[in-house]
Amino acid sequence: MMKLITGELNKLAKRRMTWILVVVMVVYFAIILFATYGVVSSPPERMSPDIVAQIRASLQFPGAFDTIFSTARTILTLLVIILVASSIGNEYGWGSIRQILSRRGIRYQFVVSKLVSLIFYALIGLVLALITGFVLVLIIANMLGPVAWDFITAGYTGEMAKTFGWTLFCLLPYIALTAFFAFLGRSAIAGIGGGLGFYFIEAILVTIFNQSGGWLAEIPAFLIGPNIDALVPASLFTQGPFGTSGDLPSVLHASIALAIYCVVLISASLVMFEERDIVLQ
Amino acid sequence: MPTEPDLVVQTRKLTKRFGKITAVDELNIEVYRGEVFGFLGPNGSGKSTTMGMLLGLIAPTSGTACVFGMDIRKRLPQILKRIGALTESTGFYPYLSGRDNLKYIAGNTGGITRARIEEVLELVELKSRGNDPFSSYSLGMKQRLGIAAALLGDPEFVILDEPTNGLDPAGMKEIRQLIASLGQQGKTVFLNSHLLHEVQQVCSRVAIIKKGRVVTQGSVKDLLNRGDCLQIRVTLPDKAVDVLAGQDWIGSVTREDERILLEVKPELASKVSAVLAAEEIYLTEMKARENTLEDLFLELTGEAVK
Repeated sequence: MMKLITGELNKLAKRRMTWILVVVMVVYFAIILFATYGVVSSPPERMSPDIVAQIRASLQFPGAFDTIFSTARTILTLLVIILVASSIGNEYGWGSIRQILSRRGIRYQFVVSKLVSLIFYALIGLVLALITGFVLVLIIANMLGPVAWDFITAGYTGEMAKTFGWTLFCLLPYIALTAFFAFLGRSAIAGIGGGLGFYFIEAILVTIFNQSGGWLAEIPAFLIGPNIDALVPASLFTQGPFGTSGDLPSVLHASIALAIYCVVLISASLVMFEERDIVLQ
Repeated sequence: MPTEPDLVVQTRKLTKRFGKITAVDELNIEVYRGEVFGFLGPNGSGKSTTMGMLLGLIAPTSGTACVFGMDIRKRLPQILKRIGALTESTGFYPYLSGRDNLKYIAGNTGGITRARIEEVLELVELKSRGNDPFSSYSLGMKQRLGIAAALLGDPEFVILDEPTNGLDPAGMKEIRQLIASLGQQGKTVFLNSHLLHEVQQVCSRVAIIKKGRVVTQGSVKDLLNRGDCLQIRVTLPDKAVDVLAGQDWIGSVTREDERILLEVKPELASKVSAVLAAEEIYLTEMKARENTLEDLFLELTGEAVK
């Protein structure tokens, strides 16, 4: 199993697409943060001073950490969907899945090695995202005024570590979801379509349900997006594609709901992969 | 159940259905240790599905398949450790080099040294291009890399699906020699090829399948020795056919344009000549006609390969 995981990690590292996704992430951070800085440095006339102050605080420490985490969460979710879908789906497209399985015969190991290596890459991606965000925010914060570090205490550092853990945890349902669709459709397109489709359609549905009232308004508490919003801070600009979160579930509810999503989707992928024939598409 | 020393593959009523389509229908084949076994059939006859079942990629609907005496449904991992397979030419990562692809496979398989990787690259003459990306390889080179991957673990049983696809005549000859040498080394080879001339040259036994069923199976020598045949050309072919058809010691008389085919032992050639001469019909050509696997294939399947 370790050999499979190591092999997967090496393959991803040697793949050009992995590095292109890293560049996309850096560019996204730069665009979001410098565009925000642009708003702060010359705010539109109709924008109230309170809002401008709020945005300014999101670019200065310690508030900037929320901005960095939420921006990382948003872009990493999208990039992880692409990475997971292509990593699994292309095995079918290239026919390499036959090469692997005709040598081992234990199918669950293939699924597990894929997921473990992709989670590891999500972890590396998150670290890179936070470093990128921190460096860019540091530059911007210096441009906005003197930077004070007196807010950093042991307790604050612990909170940061917790937020880091939750942010990584929040990527797992999308890894599991995309893997499920890639295995189901036996292609990268199916994985990307399923993962991104769910991400955007769910956001639209959450907005509709939140505005519906009654029992419909209860549904978002059982979907992925609102539960993620409950765990990871969302800044003014990056709280999901459509911005409305409604009443968020508790941390306990959110963590259990997301864990159930992960377990169900991974189990479904394992069973499906175990049972189905590996035939050329 | 087959005993391991003799039988490498034994299938009994092996069947695979995809919905309403029966791809493999109660297939019974045996492959013995140390032989080069040819598996022939028209496109869509179930060859690749059978290979997929032997490799555990496709689950049989019913019937059994044993490899090395072990049921593929129960002991697949142990079986696969002893098999090397070329299932398709493009089963590699395009962004990795040929060498890195083999390293990845070696890492998955375990117990394969770097020296062995170099050895198989040398064997298929890809050593100098080993560091080039797989995506830059020609079809022939991809096929060679597939063969290298199949031989990487020095397997006892080698499954090759169309190994000469995309190769030039010189490359085909080399692969033919390689397959023959595998047989000489005591390895068992299961060869799926549509090049019947090639199969005839390297295989000791063959099975021909049609619509998922075995239509014949046996040694190449025995299959080709079925029915002796003389081919003649004469001065008066129409009259010759009438004369020869009346001889009860001639099995059958078939007219093929100007040629006449006689189902008769070659030793009776002089008798044929005498009968015709008595009717003032004279031979312009007479030769024993060799049966080929292609003739047999066409006769049994009623269609050309590929």
